[in-house]
Amino acid sequence: MNPAPGTLPTPPVSPGGPPLFRLSQVTKSFGAVRALRNVSFELAPGEVHALLGENGAGKSTLIKVITGAHQPDGGLLEFEGREVSHLTPTRARQLGIACIYQQPALFPDLSVAENIGLRLEPPGSFSRVNWQQRHQQARELLTRIGAAIDPETEVRALSMPEQQLVEIACALGSGAKLVVMDEPTASLTRTEQELLFGVVRDLRASGVGVIYISHRLEEIFALADRVTVLRDGESVATRSVRDADGTSTLTEAELIRMMVGREVAAIYPPRTATFGQTVLGIDNLSCAAGGVREVSLEVRAGEVFGLAGLVGAGRTELARVLFGITPADSGTIRLNGHTIRVGNPQEAVEHGVAYVPEDRRRHGVILPLPIAHNMTMAIHRRFFPGTWLRFGREESLASEFIQKLGIKAYGPAAPGGSLSGGNQQKVSLARWLATEPRLLILDEPTQGVDVGAKSEIHKIIRDLAAEGLAVLMISSDLPEVLGMSDRIGIMQGGRLVHVLDGATATADAVMTAALAAA
Amino acid sequence: MSSQNSRSIKSLLLRHEVLLVLVLVLEIFYFLNNARNFGTPDNLSNIVRHSAEIGLLALAMMPVILTGGIDLSVGSLLGLCAVLFGVMTHDWHWATLPAAFVTILLGGLAGAFNATLITALRLPPLIVTLGTYSLFRGLAEAITQGTKTYRSFDPGFLGLGEFRFLGLPLQGWVLGFAALFFGILVHLTVFGRSFRAIGYSPEGTRYAGIPVLRRTAMPYILAGLTAAVAALLFTARLQQARADAGTGYELAAITAVVLGGTSIFGGSGTVYGTLTGIAAIAILSNGISRVPAVLKAGIGGELASLLTGALLLLALAAPALVRLLQSARKQPTT
Repeated sequence: MNPAPGTLPTPPVSPGGPPLFRLSQVTKSFGAVRALRNVSFELAPGEVHALLGENGAGKSTLIKVITGAHQPDGGLLEFEGREVSHLTPTRARQLGIACIYQQPALFPDLSVAENIGLRLEPPGSFSRVNWQQRHQQARELLTRIGAAIDPETEVRALSMPEQQLVEIACALGSGAKLVVMDEPTASLTRTEQELLFGVVRDLRASGVGVIYISHRLEEIFALADRVTVLRDGESVATRSVRDADGTSTLTEAELIRMMVGREVAAIYPPRTATFGQTVLGIDNLSCAAGGVREVSLEVRAGEVFGLAGLVGAGRTELARVLFGITPADSGTIRLNGHTIRVGNPQEAVEHGVAYVPEDRRRHGVILPLPIAHNMTMAIHRRFFPGTWLRFGREESLASEFIQKLGIKAYGPAAPGGSLSGGNQQKVSLARWLATEPRLLILDEPTQGVDVGAKSEIHKIIRDLAAEGLAVLMISSDLPEVLGMSDRIGIMQGGRLVHVLDGATATADAVMTAALAAA
Repeated sequence: MSSQNSRSIKSLLLRHEVLLVLVLVLEIFYFLNNARNFGTPDNLSNIVRHSAEIGLLALAMMPVILTGGIDLSVGSLLGLCAVLFGVMTHDWHWATLPAAFVTILLGGLAGAFNATLITALRLPPLIVTLGTYSLFRGLAEAITQGTKTYRSFDPGFLGLGEFRFLGLPLQGWVLGFAALFFGILVHLTVFGRSFRAIGYSPEGTRYAGIPVLRRTAMPYILAGLTAAVAALLFTARLQQARADAGTGYELAAITAVVLGGTSIFGGSGTVYGTLTGIAAIAILSNGISRVPAVLKAGIGGELASLLTGALLLLALAAPALVRLLQSARKQPTT
């Protein structure tokens, strides 16, 4: 009954025969927290089944159950119609279950072929490595997924998306029948996404079952056959994305409603029309080391200036120059009309420049430290006169931000690492709002953040702008750039190549400008 | 509810500091019953006097380790400072007070030298201080030609080694003051907060606008100053200054810090834990040498070193072992 490979885009909505993988009434608790409650889930061979839910809905736990990292407290697991009573990671691998995580787990100092070889060649043999065969195998696998990567390159030199492709090649090479992809596109550009989508479709065509996790709804519509929504550890619903003749049976609004359990009225908050004086002005700013070339732009008070472009176009690099991490070689930075020198982050902070970085786990939040400590980190000098810590004052500041930004944590003493991604992002934001900045630079403010928290963050950004803050927002999420920005700057090769009006810009116009040859 | 309670008690027991205090209590209880003259006031001040130098080094080492660094040079610096003090008082005929002052200043300079190499040139602390570990000791030996020992110090200075105030030997006061100073620095000021943040993530700390290099330099300079103070105490106690003074003290200090629950990777730890670590080692080595059988066999020093090592490994392994046992009970292996 399985459709012949290649007859896409009509996917197998409910194919006959036994499912590839089935979970019935699975329950898992951590202490008093019930992470999964009677979750049932089914995956057919040759199906792309999306798993959707807010952060903390139980997706990660479910993946860990599927890959054998967690043992469920109750419920039934079946693989190819047979019950699997005790699934361990080793057993899962033997069965043909592979998982591609957000952060590829490759050895950076080894070559691509060596990494693939380590995963696929039988361990424990001390025989000589057949390099020719190893390279051959790597090359074949990479070609199969359409990745133009030389097997001899060191993994260190690869970009994040390229590393993900290597992971996929490993999964493919191991003959995986079930592939779990955990937010694979979080750090990919449009073109890289398309490449990945192609790979996923190929996997589907060859009968592999794919469990696909993403916060981006448009991807689910583009890719998935069915979608299961999780909320608070329960499976809310499983729905087909399309019916037999390919017409859509589901709307974004419906999905969001299922995930959040409430209606999300307007996805993006309305723009405010009034702008104040120019807060940030930069002229011919260049930084050779950072790859920023002669950028000039202005951001006014109350304005959200979106920066679009491909990964590597110089957007984060520009932010790092403005924040003093890689100081500028030439050009000027003006803040409220005064030319300022930003030689290091301390100077940037003193001038009222705040930077919420892209990589929140490395740069945004110090995970083991309590969130209260994280929030006062950028205001040590001002908040603790005479260098004495004032714990009471710090705690009330933290409580204030927890309430104001709706951060879900058990209190100011909760370590940053105990929070979900969206809440960590809010802590990172709180740290910089505490500095009472004049210019707020946001780098991928909602990357890896669930839909509910995402619209909350959008509302916060808009409110901050309405209070007169100048906001420079870097985002690879096109709907976000279009929905949030008053003006959109498009960067390419370290230059600002285009500026569009946010209210009238279209996705096409932005993408065209970003992709146009310099 | 009750299972929740027992869980939190268990996790409290697994806390390093609590475990260590338990060990300390056991040690004291055992030695009070089995070691000769252990509980006498004389012996107690003896313990304080003998643990002061390593204790000082450990207290100064704690913030260094908290930033994710290490300072292997403090023992050698103690030796160098002792010799320099001898040179100033004997060869140059300086008065005790200015000589002591300059010695402490030079200790700070030596620490600043470490700090500069580590922060300005971004060299790994382990390598830098391994270098100065040899360098400082080598200098001390060169000055004394390896043989010269400075004796016959000013009786007033030597008196300090025996000086007591309110029944507590001078070393106890110095150690207490240092503990207070480092305790306040680490736990109550933004400096300590920065050390911890740097220990967890230097990059992340930089992105918060904290001057990471300046903050990283501070503990090394303080360690240099403290090593010089320890050199003065050492000289006053032993009534002599030699080039080999303080040999191996850096490792004893690191042992006390790690035993006291500070993570060798930086970020987490408490000064009171370090103090407990110092006490556990000092009491162990004093008490064991007073157990009659050990005394008779004359193996006090060897046994103390052996037991300290065992204690360190046990204290570090205990939480991991308990976790292992728990998970083994929960999940039969396949």
